[in-house]
Amino acid sequence: MKGCIFNIDGGYLEGLCRGFKCGILKQSDYLNLVQCETLEDLKLHLQGTDYGTFLANEPSPLAVSTIDDKLREKLVIEFQHLRNHSVEPLSTFLDFITYSYMIDNIILLITGTLHQRPISELIPKCHPLGSFEQMEAIHVAATPAELYNAVLVDTPLAPFFVDCISEQDLDEMNIEIIRNTLYKAYLEAFYEFCKQIGGTTADVMCEILAFEADRRAIIITINSFGTELSKDDRAKLYPRCGKLNPDGLAALARADDYEQVKAVAEYYAEYSALFEGAGSNVGDKTLEDKFFEHEVSLNVHAFLQQFHFGVFYSYLKLKEQECRNIVWISECVAQKHRAKIDNYIPIF
Amino acid sequence: MTLCQLFLQSEAAYACVSELGELGLVQFRDLNPDVNAFQRKFVNEVRRCDEMERKLRYLEKEIKRDGIPMLEIPGECPEAPQPREMIDLEATFEKLENELREVNQNAEALKRNYLELTELKHILRKTQVFFDEMADPSREEEQVTLLGEEGLMAGGQALKLGSPYRHAYRSAVMFACNYELSIHHEGGANTTESMTRALISDDPNKHMGHVQLGFRDKQESLEFLPCFVAGVILRERIPAFERMLWRACRGNVFLRQAEIDSPLEDPSSSDQVYKSVFIIFFQGDQLKTRVKKICEGFRATLYPCPEAPADRREMAMGVMTRIEDLNTVLGQTQDHRHRVLVAAAKNIKNWFVKVRKIKAIYHTLNLFNLDVTQKCLIAECWVPALDMETIQLALRRGTERSGSSVPPILNRMETAEEPPTYNRNNKFTSAFQHLIYAYGVATYREVNPAPYTIITFPFLFAVMFGDLGHGALIAIFGFWMCYKEKPLQAKKIDSEIWNIFFGGRYIILLMGLFSMYTGLIYNDIFSKSLNIFGSSWRSNYRNDTLADNKLLQLNPDSEDYLQYPYPFGIDPVWQLAESNKIIFMNAYKMKISIIIGVFHMLFGVCMSLWNHIYFKRRISIYVEFIPQIVFLTLLFFYMVLLMFIKWTSYGPTPGKLGSDDPDVIRTSAYCAPSILITFINMMLFKTDPNTRPQCDDVMYAGQMGLQKMFVVVALLCVPIMLFGKPYFIMREQKQQARSQPLGAGPEGAEGAQAENGAAAGAPAEAPHGAHSHEEISEVFIHQAIHTIEYVLGSVSHTASYLRLWALSLAHAQLAEVAWNMLLRKGLMSMGFQGGIFLYVVFAGWAAISVSILVLMEGLSAFLHTLRLHWVEFQSKFYAGEGYLFQPFSFEVILDSAGQAEE
Repeated sequence: MKGCIFNIDGGYLEGLCRGFKCGILKQSDYLNLVQCETLEDLKLHLQGTDYGTFLANEPSPLAVSTIDDKLREKLVIEFQHLRNHSVEPLSTFLDFITYSYMIDNIILLITGTLHQRPISELIPKCHPLGSFEQMEAIHVAATPAELYNAVLVDTPLAPFFVDCISEQDLDEMNIEIIRNTLYKAYLEAFYEFCKQIGGTTADVMCEILAFEADRRAIIITINSFGTELSKDDRAKLYPRCGKLNPDGLAALARADDYEQVKAVAEYYAEYSALFEGAGSNVGDKTLEDKFFEHEVSLNVHAFLQQFHFGVFYSYLKLKEQECRNIVWISECVAQKHRAKIDNYIPIF
Repeated sequence: MTLCQLFLQSEAAYACVSELGELGLVQFRDLNPDVNAFQRKFVNEVRRCDEMERKLRYLEKEIKRDGIPMLEIPGECPEAPQPREMIDLEATFEKLENELREVNQNAEALKRNYLELTELKHILRKTQVFFDEMADPSREEEQVTLLGEEGLMAGGQALKLGSPYRHAYRSAVMFACNYELSIHHEGGANTTESMTRALISDDPNKHMGHVQLGFRDKQESLEFLPCFVAGVILRERIPAFERMLWRACRGNVFLRQAEIDSPLEDPSSSDQVYKSVFIIFFQGDQLKTRVKKICEGFRATLYPCPEAPADRREMAMGVMTRIEDLNTVLGQTQDHRHRVLVAAAKNIKNWFVKVRKIKAIYHTLNLFNLDVTQKCLIAECWVPALDMETIQLALRRGTERSGSSVPPILNRMETAEEPPTYNRNNKFTSAFQHLIYAYGVATYREVNPAPYTIITFPFLFAVMFGDLGHGALIAIFGFWMCYKEKPLQAKKIDSEIWNIFFGGRYIILLMGLFSMYTGLIYNDIFSKSLNIFGSSWRSNYRNDTLADNKLLQLNPDSEDYLQYPYPFGIDPVWQLAESNKIIFMNAYKMKISIIIGVFHMLFGVCMSLWNHIYFKRRISIYVEFIPQIVFLTLLFFYMVLLMFIKWTSYGPTPGKLGSDDPDVIRTSAYCAPSILITFINMMLFKTDPNTRPQCDDVMYAGQMGLQKMFVVVALLCVPIMLFGKPYFIMREQKQQARSQPLGAGPEGAEGAQAENGAAAGAPAEAPHGAHSHEEISEVFIHQAIHTIEYVLGSVSHTASYLRLWALSLAHAQLAEVAWNMLLRKGLMSMGFQGGIFLYVVFAGWAAISVSILVLMEGLSAFLHTLRLHWVEFQSKFYAGEGYLFQPFSFEVILDSAGQAEE
């Protein structure tokens, strides 16, 4: 039944999104891109794709950062176009997507101010999708409570932040904890929201978000080895909307080294496969890359179904992956370091 | 159209291609499709052109920003410059860009300076007002707003200024204490101690002015004073800013703001932005850093603002003089920029054309192959066979220009490939040709229906749109567009709808003229009739009969009819025949539609004969064209003949009204048979048993036999169409297959060498045989589809032409409704109010006439005409499987570049 009335509000945007999706670079494009000798070649080839003349107005010695900026700019314009034309509940859904960028921005700014960097230097590094009005005044806050009371209380992130207020002051460790707590709260809220929308959206998005949650749990565990983070604290950071919940998370909380994490993942078919293929040797793919690949395949699957919001999320994520790929390739090209140029993650 | 190979000396290649581009008669083929865009030979040159274009776009943007008009290219387009000129151009652009960037940078710095000074000026002015207001206690109550009304709601701590001084003060102190406590609690520094002490220890009444107003009293020591900062912030950021201040400082600051009325220019984007002046009062250093941080976070610019009025005045004076100075400098910078841009604006279009031409040439050169010696470039191109001479000439010109000694060589090549289709058009025929191309580009050398469409298209349209008045409106519009062609073209209007109309101006003109003609024949002008020649009908009734009866009949075989027809078109008397006008018109228009349709289709089938002859498909003539035309003629053309027979042989006999003479009755309208029933009976091989007494069963002698023969012959044509072609093809292949082994036979006897040859031949033969066998089944299926399509099509297509009648009827009826329901009401109203009423009603009627009857009905008739051409007419002969000849032409490239820009 939902499918019948989906098109009234979401049909145009879904069509638009699927159209955008067709502009995502194909394997053959990547094959051409890796052959490029210089960034100029790269630019010339990208001109033949959906990117068109996005670099046409840049003066000649191209920098990788320019390419990165322009890629991101294009993506943001597309996303904001979608957002501006959306109505409830899609607009909330799209807003939810932007919250993760807000979290990243906040953490970036706090870390930056902690390291005495001027705020004007940090602002351009923030992701434009996650910018909000009070963002630049964030360095007023010295404690998480202040951060909450002065800056975040007006932003949509406020409900996620409630758990972090107790932290005493802002040092590296606490910032990481804040970031992960925020992410946990955000993911759980997003998961709930998608559930509440129901239908195909819930099917598709819960799958993706569950993976995202599990990935975070695993990565947090692996990264926490050798730090002063206690196991209890670590367990508090796990998002509880994934497939690992509850048994897997409990097991992860007890893990002491990489092998134990791997043993936990053994119980879950899709994750064990990822751990199998990953290695730290040269030429092997890292676990992170494996996760990215899995994420890409999940996102590509989202396009197989119709009448749901998952396509918007997936489009953004795929496009981001594509930007990462292009930037990776252009970095390799720019630094004449061609050995690892094939380490991009193809999408189609 | 021939495929040619072109050998160009590498030095001469550029000039030659440039000449060919001017000519626009050659379509180059990509000879290295496997090579990436960035691996081609001239990619560096293309890149340089891109770079130049970028610089030009930058210049153009700047020119547009200043609103300087860009000169159109006077007269001729500039030729593509020589490659060596490219460096000059590059240098020029480089210089211009750098100069402009420098000027812009300077201007921006100056503007930023100017902005700062202006903001400072505003601050001084506005803060003056604040300070004055504060000094005047009588106005305070209503004027002053406090920071954060939330504060009011949240704590109930009304920090109001004015009369409840004491209360206000207390709450201020309370806030300060709270703050102090919280700071201590957090283990913060004790810098605020002095402030607190001051606040608490002093006499409240005495101190009040300072806390609230930041007003300097010379007798007070500095340490008790509240500090303040003043600055400027974007107006839309004020609410968030205020809220943030309140939250971060717990309400211990006091903010006043005033809007700057005039917009300020943002130096980096040169947008006009609205800003506000604010002033924040607070106490203590910690608050100060906080406030400053927040200001920084909200991109507010802070300015020093002296506390003493005298200092402020002095500063304001200084600022004013500096603004004046800056203004002159800024003016000079702007002048310089303007001069640079004006100089650039004169040439920019010219440069654009040049750069685009160079780029196009190098793109084309990238399509070429390099030969082994690297000395010459090899190109393959499609060339219209008639223009070979012109192209040779252009090539020679190009060689001369480049100073090369070796002439280029243009070789014709034999190819099995299908050449592109190229129809020469002028501005009149091109619109019609586009209508045809919209369906499909003609297969190479196929009959092009466009020339016939020039007449049939407007005519069929007019049959549906027959109204002299509406037709005249369309014709006038079309004529105006054709008459004002050049100025309108030069305007380059962007609207898509307008471009559609303008592109089809000649179609519109012809459609209008033809509609006027059919309107005259239908005798229809805005649903009324014209009585030009005088009607041939008379009413011989007496006046009282006329007055008593609603309906009366006029008989053509009595004296009511003058016995000669109205000279042109339909007699206007039918306008008055309210009861049977539609019946009469329907019978007439339906028959006309079928007649036109059958002729149109027959014409289409005849066209296929030319195709068959040209492509030397002899079999198709015998087993496709002839059965098709026989089928159509014997069934549908015969029906048309029956219509003419009915028209000529049945009718009233003058002066024999009510006569019982069998001869008279037999030829009277009473005995006229229905053509449709006759035709159906003919197909079913039966005679109508229900003929009226006194009438003949048949229209002419031997009708039954002849009809039966026609149907049988027509039906016999179907299997010929179905099986004829596959049969002949099969037989031909068998013959070939039989003749080849025979040819190889004697050779095989000669020896081992020949055996080898046979062995080599056999495997080559086998796949060929399998291939042809597959083809045969395909041929069968195709032929079956075509035959079914044709046979069923001729029935349904004939019926489809009835849309000519249907739309014509709909149009006439709609026009009549518009007249009767609107304009007639207006015309019937009396008195001078009637005049006003008519005025209003006429507007409505005219609007409906134009929007619905002309535009919408016109569009619908246009679409139906298009369908009749595409489906009913062209399906008889037009395959439309070709591809278009797209010559390399600067004109096209520049046009599309210009459009993309807009």
